[in-house]
Amino acid sequence: MSTTLAGVDVPEGASTPAGPLAARTRGLRKTYGRTVAVDQVDLDVPEGAVLGMLGPNGSGKTTTIRMLLGLVRPTAGEVRLLGHPMPEGAGHALPDVGALVEGPGFHPFLSGRENLLRMAAAEPRLTTSDIRGAVDAALERVGLSAAANRRYRGYSLGMKQRLGLAGALLVPRRMVVLDEPTNGLDPAGTREIRTIIAELHAAGVTVLVSSHLLAEVEATCTHVAVLHAGTVVAQGELAELLESGSPSLLVSTPDTSAAMEALRSKRIPSRLAPEGIRVDLTAATAPEVLAALVRADVPVHEARRARTGLEDLFARLTQQEADESRMDGLSGVVEADGEATP
Amino acid sequence: MTQATMTARERAPRAPLTRLLRAELRWIFRRPRTLVVLGMLALLPVVVGIALTLVDSPGPPGGGPNGAGGGESLLVSAGGNALVLPVAALGMALALLLPLAAAMAGADAVAGETAHGTLRGWLLTPVSRGRLLLVKAFGVAAVAVAAVVAMALTGIVTGLVINGGGTLFTLSGTTLSFPAAVGKVALAAGWVALQLWAVGAVALAISTWTEHPMLVVVSVLAGTILFSVLGALDALDWLHPFLLNDSWQAIGDVLRDPVPTGELTEGALRALCYIAIALSIAYARLTTKDG
Repeated sequence: MSTTLAGVDVPEGASTPAGPLAARTRGLRKTYGRTVAVDQVDLDVPEGAVLGMLGPNGSGKTTTIRMLLGLVRPTAGEVRLLGHPMPEGAGHALPDVGALVEGPGFHPFLSGRENLLRMAAAEPRLTTSDIRGAVDAALERVGLSAAANRRYRGYSLGMKQRLGLAGALLVPRRMVVLDEPTNGLDPAGTREIRTIIAELHAAGVTVLVSSHLLAEVEATCTHVAVLHAGTVVAQGELAELLESGSPSLLVSTPDTSAAMEALRSKRIPSRLAPEGIRVDLTAATAPEVLAALVRADVPVHEARRARTGLEDLFARLTQQEADESRMDGLSGVVEADGEATP
Repeated sequence: MTQATMTARERAPRAPLTRLLRAELRWIFRRPRTLVVLGMLALLPVVVGIALTLVDSPGPPGGGPNGAGGGESLLVSAGGNALVLPVAALGMALALLLPLAAAMAGADAVAGETAHGTLRGWLLTPVSRGRLLLVKAFGVAAVAVAAVVAMALTGIVTGLVINGGGTLFTLSGTTLSFPAAVGKVALAAGWVALQLWAVGAVALAISTWTEHPMLVVVSVLAGTILFSVLGALDALDWLHPFLLNDSWQAIGDVLRDPVPTGELTEGALRALCYIAIALSIAYARLTTKDG
């Protein structure tokens, strides 16, 4: 069971049967004065996963990433990145980590290529003679070769974002961290980022991508961590998270009243759904439901497990948490079924 | 814990330092702003030389109200003297223009890079924060040296062109050979560069506390002016040994023969103290601040 939800105390190791973790935080907390930016963040990034970090603006995604990369020292808690404690082990961990954090940062008076050359000069994994080749390859990969010699000042938002991505991909990495990589990109650019993430995943690279765009995460990620108000409210494999919550079966039938009648006689709760009925699977399994329907001569077009959908899940998690935090601050937790418990 | 100590013992991979320094220099001297400032400073001795020739003060030896040595009285001697012009120009610029250039370099080095988000880029590659300060201090020092050398060179050339090679007189009345004169100008330039390194170090320290480069430049400028004002108040003479620019007027001493070293040495030591303190503050801040 690799799905853990905040509030469920999972012993260490039990949550990660899939293998070693590329990054891990425990009890992470960061305060700025009296403002609590991040609190009690226990994040697991399995090796080789594409983990999507979801959360509304201001939920602590970037702060968590900055602590993960050693840019910010946590107020409390521990961070391990590729096995090294951060920020002390930054010199060991970061050469194998490519990162695009808080938007691309480059000098406006230099061209895209010159900016990358300056960045590459500091790359420990590049020998001096390899720098030019690595920069050209990275530019090619993000589709910026044609604009490489133009000044960064004149770049569009999307081109700036691509250059930032090129910086993260200068050297073959073990892990790539992308903070809102599709900001400012057109649909074609967004697709290219997805392709690049897929390529990295195929090459065994661990990818951590933060976003507030749900569709983007659903399309590219194997794992998801949902942050809200500075805490992780849910994390785990995408598929498992989507099926969490109350399991139900969507049955498409022309005769909904007969179907509901047949189920009621078997004491299986159901209710009307857009194209048929939604059957609660807590009381019965899917085969039992179908058998009951067929025996009652109810015509069934199709039956499928209801996937909650990331949007539902996200709304449920963050909404509950918002109500909760209004009452008693950050201490509230959300259980798998989305019900708030103090 | 054991793993932590083990990883600490094993050396982390690092980019060669010379590569970082070269990248920093390329960045600094590609920046249009740096080149404009250096160009203007280099023009200053030329402008001063031409102005002095046009004013054509044939012989004002009597000594006006500003008899005691200083930038302005040096300028009086610079007319008709090829040796004095470069040193006088350096002394004049040291009052405000050169500190401004050093402050600009220091401001861009950390605050400017933070504002662009580029400092984060180097921290992530990673460059350790200690090395980052080393590279940045080197860059600021390089700008100071470039400014001083440019001024000294154009000063010497302008002086020779306007006054001819036979006018290399010291303030003590002796005449110097060309190499000896160049030596004196080099001494003045070196001393001025040292003072500018101190200014640059202070700018770098302020630079680590803000992400607004303008704030750094304004602070250094205000500090320089404030120090000049405080230095002019006799009632505060107990404070004067602590003011960096207290001995900046002594630059004219290099033009004497032999050179009185007292005040120049004191100024050099004071600059070294400023550098040590300012870089310590910059290090303490840079290694603890959020990137």
